Amino acid sequence: MTSVIANLLALLVMPIVLVGTINRVKARWSGRRGPPILQLAFDLWRLVQKTPVYSTVTTPVFRLAPIVVLATAVGSACIVPLAGTTSLVGFPFDFVWFAYVWSFGRVALMLGALDTGSSFEGMGASREATFATLLEPILFLVAGALCLHSGVHSFAAALVPHLDGPPAVVMWLAAIAALLVVVQVESARMPVDDPSTHLELTMVHEVMILDHSGPELALLQLGSAIKLYVGVSAIAMLLDPIAGESSVVTVAAHLGVCLGIGVAVGLSESLVARLKLRLVPAYIVIGLIAAGIALLSMLGRGGHG
Amino acid sequence: MRVGLVEDRLDRAVAYPLQLAWSSMVGSTLILTSVPVLLLGAGLAAGLRSNRTRGIVAVGSQAIAMLLVLVSIWPVLSSGVAIEIIWPWPAPIDRIAFRIDALSAFFLAWSMPMTLLGTLYAIGYLRPYFNAGRNGGPHFALLNLTSLSFVLIYSVQNALVFLLGWEIAAVAAWLLVIWDYRSQKIRFAGFNYLVSTHVGLFVLVAAFMLLHSYTGSMDFAAFGVYLSHHPAGQGTLFLLLGISFALKSAFFPFHTWLPRAHSAAPAHVSALMSGVIHKAGLFAFLRFTLLAGTPEVWMGWSVLIFGATSAIFGVLYTATQRDLKRMLGYSSTENVGIAAMGFGVGMLGWAWGKPALAALGFGAGLLHVLNHALFKCSLFYAAGAVYRAAHTIDLERLGGLAKRLPRTAVFFLVGSLAMSALPPFNGFVSEFLLYSGLLSGAAPTAEGDVVLVCAAAVLAFVGAVGALATTRAFGLAFLGRPRDPSIHVGEDAPRSMAIPMLVHSIGILVLGLYPALALHLVDPVLALFHTGPPSDLTALLAPVVWACRGLALVLAISMIAMWRRRAAARQSVTWGCGYTAGTARMQYTGSSFSAQLSTLFRPALPVATREQLPTEPFPQRSGHLSTNHVDAVERRMFEVLGQGEQFVQDSSGRIPEQPRFAFAAGLLVLVVVALVALGEVL
Repeated sequence: MTSVIANLLALLVMPIVLVGTINRVKARWSGRRGPPILQLAFDLWRLVQKTPVYSTVTTPVFRLAPIVVLATAVGSACIVPLAGTTSLVGFPFDFVWFAYVWSFGRVALMLGALDTGSSFEGMGASREATFATLLEPILFLVAGALCLHSGVHSFAAALVPHLDGPPAVVMWLAAIAALLVVVQVESARMPVDDPSTHLELTMVHEVMILDHSGPELALLQLGSAIKLYVGVSAIAMLLDPIAGESSVVTVAAHLGVCLGIGVAVGLSESLVARLKLRLVPAYIVIGLIAAGIALLSMLGRGGHG
Repeated sequence: MRVGLVEDRLDRAVAYPLQLAWSSMVGSTLILTSVPVLLLGAGLAAGLRSNRTRGIVAVGSQAIAMLLVLVSIWPVLSSGVAIEIIWPWPAPIDRIAFRIDALSAFFLAWSMPMTLLGTLYAIGYLRPYFNAGRNGGPHFALLNLTSLSFVLIYSVQNALVFLLGWEIAAVAAWLLVIWDYRSQKIRFAGFNYLVSTHVGLFVLVAAFMLLHSYTGSMDFAAFGVYLSHHPAGQGTLFLLLGISFALKSAFFPFHTWLPRAHSAAPAHVSALMSGVIHKAGLFAFLRFTLLAGTPEVWMGWSVLIFGATSAIFGVLYTATQRDLKRMLGYSSTENVGIAAMGFGVGMLGWAWGKPALAALGFGAGLLHVLNHALFKCSLFYAAGAVYRAAHTIDLERLGGLAKRLPRTAVFFLVGSLAMSALPPFNGFVSEFLLYSGLLSGAAPTAEGDVVLVCAAAVLAFVGAVGALATTRAFGLAFLGRPRDPSIHVGEDAPRSMAIPMLVHSIGILVLGLYPALALHLVDPVLALFHTGPPSDLTALLAPVVWACRGLALVLAISMIAMWRRRAAARQSVTWGCGYTAGTARMQYTGSSFSAQLSTLFRPALPVATREQLPTEPFPQRSGHLSTNHVDAVERRMFEVLGQGEQFVQDSSGRIPEQPRFAFAAGLLVLVVVALVALGEVL
């Protein structure tokens, strides 16, 4: 019961706090005071009260897309432990569900972008779709390696690290690296995409939501914040040595690790420039190679049952 | 006519309970009655006066035949008891055995209703041709014969009659494809198909001749006894039959006929070929797998890898086509590949003695066959509605159809989401089962597990490219603004075309939210393959299906909420990023959408470019540039066929000039000789 409450609270609060942390770190690094940590919540509230503006070109698909994006983000959040304990829902091979609801959200976002008839948004959709083709195999290679290693088939249980022997350590390191690439690409962070602006610097994600406004924009922003937190939380599970237990200390440690990753993301966004778009596929392939190493290290473990 | 009981002749430990002779008699009589009904319908359709009555007769006779077949296979599906009749026949055939087991029943259960829907669709789709005075009789008769071929292929246990059904299906499909025979392009596509399908037939005949020479019989049961007791013969026949069935189901690299035939044929014919008729290849593969008994491990691996290759290449071509129906055609290659991956996993599970894995693999494959038939037919029907309204299906020229053809748009959207295997649609369920098999870690060695996980990663790649392809198809054709002002879009699909799409879309949703319904069809088939308790699949799917239902519920509620407050919004133009002179032509097109992907996979996706670019600073003549994603296999094949002599001459000419060619050729010969020698020794 406490675990369920912790998960729900984390789902409500942490995405906003995480985005706030990243923005605060970036502001401090560039010598500004920065917005409040809960700025995203204020923004969402402001957006919800506005009247949306729709392009005359659009169809209901455009209005449906943000709902699907938020629903699928929440759907994926149910699978991952958000507070370091267990996940809200867990069943065998739930990471397939995880990958495919993310995919559904992505497809909805791309269709919403294409619905405006804007070539810039089409460009963003095309890029997102292309990067996703390289990204999805990473997720399954990592999930497969984690499953083979732990012998369990649910994402939440497989994420709890068991570092028994050198192959497991190699697998663990490679899996963290691969998931980091996945999170960076999926939530459009540096060095893949620059989330700071809507038009001048951004190339993928923010491009696709150019025409959304009001409550729909709020749904999209909340959806991508949740996706970011879900990804970060999955990595935090791997990094957290006491993950998987059910106590207040675990929850505190997990949230601490998540915010730590947030600080690291903020720092990297302040220090690293966005890659040239041509190089992004190569960057994703690095993640693919890491995932391949994670899987291959499973050949090295003995005592196969 | 002698009605016999089924005995377990093939030594497969599948015990069919004794059945009452009369139920078998009733079942077999009903099934065989469907044959004259279909023939009579075909004859009447060809002979009657008006196209309207021809269509009604075809639909009516198919409906009666379908009911007869469904009633007779009902006990097979509910209890797993097979129906069998043996017909004495004059020499040299001796006897013809009909046997409807769960596998036949599974394929019959959806093939016949879907053909019926296709025929119904044809009435609406062909109406413009009928209004111009075209005689639709032969076309409807051929659709009846297609239905007849299913009854033969799926029920008969005799090689000669099986070939007859196979050939009826092939020739009928060819004649259906060349409906617009006045166009040279369409005649070529049909001829291409005819040649390819007969190459497959020759291989199949060769396999049957081999089996006949070993057994002296044309009976499948005798084939089965031979195959299960002679592992040495199994290998050769596995390859021969595999190639033939792969040609039928358009696996890569035997798919070259497919894109041409699918873009040339009327929409319902493409739908039936892709969704239903060519599933006969997969059926025949499963039939012979069953006959041959426990497969060897290498067979499972080869089917898995062959399926994965087919899925990868199929989906890459799907993502780059500009012709909507050609694109859907390539997607069949992808989807039969996914089904074959399932069968490969199933064969591995069977060979390793892991019934749970076998159930996952075969269950996923069979379910995907059914799911693919549902969404692919729907998509082809929707593409046909687009063609009928806009007279083109070129993605570069379409756009904004959702506003002009709202009905078709909804059906196409549902079909394409299912084709991308997204929850809560039906494609997701079968892929979920396949992933469960691949990631279960059930292989006896660590290497095996790792390869299976790699196959899961391949499936994930295929899924992501598939999502790109369907987003591109729907997003560009139906959303945005019309790209070509010269296209005039007519009316939306009439009722006779909308009903088949509606039925298929309902099927997609129902099987996505209640896959247990489809598993009722699949479970008796799995029992034939020695798999674990069938309820396992339902139990495995239960949580994810609940998750799908939850998602569907949330989406449905928010759709209703959205519909209610639709008025409270302002309208404006799409923001042009500060550029004010944008036109509809400047929207992203099919080629630009897939440009980055096709650059990444350039070696697999050759582009034929024809260009005449302006040269001088003040060009006097206007230039042109056209790019086209051609089929790599087809291009190479025509190269060899057309300039084969030149090709051999050139390569052999190079050997004396360039020593490394001679070295490579020598090495190749050495390896082949060494392998043959090794094979002899072993």
